[in-house]
Amino acid sequence: MRWEPRTPPEGINVTPTHPLAEFATLVAGVAAVTVVVVALAAWGAEALVARLPAGVESALFGRLWDPGPGTDADPRAQPAGALLRRLARHWAENPYDLRLRVMEEPEPNAFALPGGMVVVTSGLLDQVASENELAFVLGHELGHFRHRDHLRGLGRQLVVGLVLAAAAGGGGAEALPALASAVTESGFARAQEREADAFGLGLVQAEYGHVEGADHFFQRLEKRHPEGPGDPVGAYLSTHPLTHERVAALRTRASRAGFAERGPLRPFPGDAGS
Amino acid sequence: MGAWIELALPLALLALGYFTGTGIERSHYRSLRVRESRSRRVPVINFRRPPDHWDVRDATLVTGNVVVSIDHFKRFLAGLRSLVGGRVKSYESLLDRARREALLRMKEEAFEGGYHAVVNVRLETSRLASARRDGRGTAGVEILAFGTAVKVARTS
Repeated sequence: MRWEPRTPPEGINVTPTHPLAEFATLVAGVAAVTVVVVALAAWGAEALVARLPAGVESALFGRLWDPGPGTDADPRAQPAGALLRRLARHWAENPYDLRLRVMEEPEPNAFALPGGMVVVTSGLLDQVASENELAFVLGHELGHFRHRDHLRGLGRQLVVGLVLAAAAGGGGAEALPALASAVTESGFARAQEREADAFGLGLVQAEYGHVEGADHFFQRLEKRHPEGPGDPVGAYLSTHPLTHERVAALRTRASRAGFAERGPLRPFPGDAGS
Repeated sequence: MGAWIELALPLALLALGYFTGTGIERSHYRSLRVRESRSRRVPVINFRRPPDHWDVRDATLVTGNVVVSIDHFKRFLAGLRSLVGGRVKSYESLLDRARREALLRMKEEAFEGGYHAVVNVRLETSRLASARRDGRGTAGVEILAFGTAVKVARTS
């Protein structure tokens, strides 16, 4: 056998695919599958959880938030709770035994918790200038109960979290699922906030005969955090619709439904009638 | 604003990885071809013993060692690939280059010592643990080529 000096042949151990082509196929494929799976999981979880009867929900979660007697130090918890129940009278099929708690927290906010518990922050109560304004915020939270959003959110977050954790556990590409979840999450949330706004507005109209004061809360928010229209990505990724969009939506809805937009405001906490 | 940064930073890292990684890879392949052609007269074989008709006068251990790391772009591609399966093409060229470089360094050591051939050549691969605390993830791989360099007086 004669030995001949040669250089080794090229390209046996390397697949001649351009890395960018592989990148494009993989990203497109994985993104498509992620979106489909997340959407299916979210939809399935929502559909299941929204069927949970309110009685079962109250039995499951009702005790969870019970603070025990005498722990709600804020004197405004009483009138706010009364206002909540007064509003709920206009919601005929209300299945919940509604309760309200005040949380010590300067940032104005309110949440609906499973089992019929509404939590408002002391910052919110400090800020509201009228009972009507607070009534709209509480009505908004009742809207979340009405549409079972508080449960949907819980079920969706649980399932989507599980799916994404499983996907991320499989390997890199961390940025993708995070983005997908942020976009779908806020997309759902924004639609829900609009619905809850509409429901709250209806309750305010039913209680007072006009909707004056309903948008005061947003107007105050906007004054504190002015958000220009120039940040579309930020707006899309935030869970709540832009406040000025919400104010505009409320106005349109009020005028379309024929609600009176002007009327007398009641003080909060009011010594009834003054 | 925060959303833009969250989106732009990974993309910038990917672009950085792609451009630096591709540039390095291309120039490395160029250098490999030139040097392989230059040292092609040193035969490298994996027989355990030199052929019987070689009159071996001297022998020594020669080694060639390479440590390579992946760039962010390759890592990203491999991460996606690990979701769906298939050839991890982004690592193939990396390991191909590392093996050839290790063999070349071994051959160059033999050549500079005046040896004529390398027999009983073996390749070893080991993974370097990353700096992450759990030691997972790939910091890089080490490829070691080693063999016995021989001086041959004449072949009959």
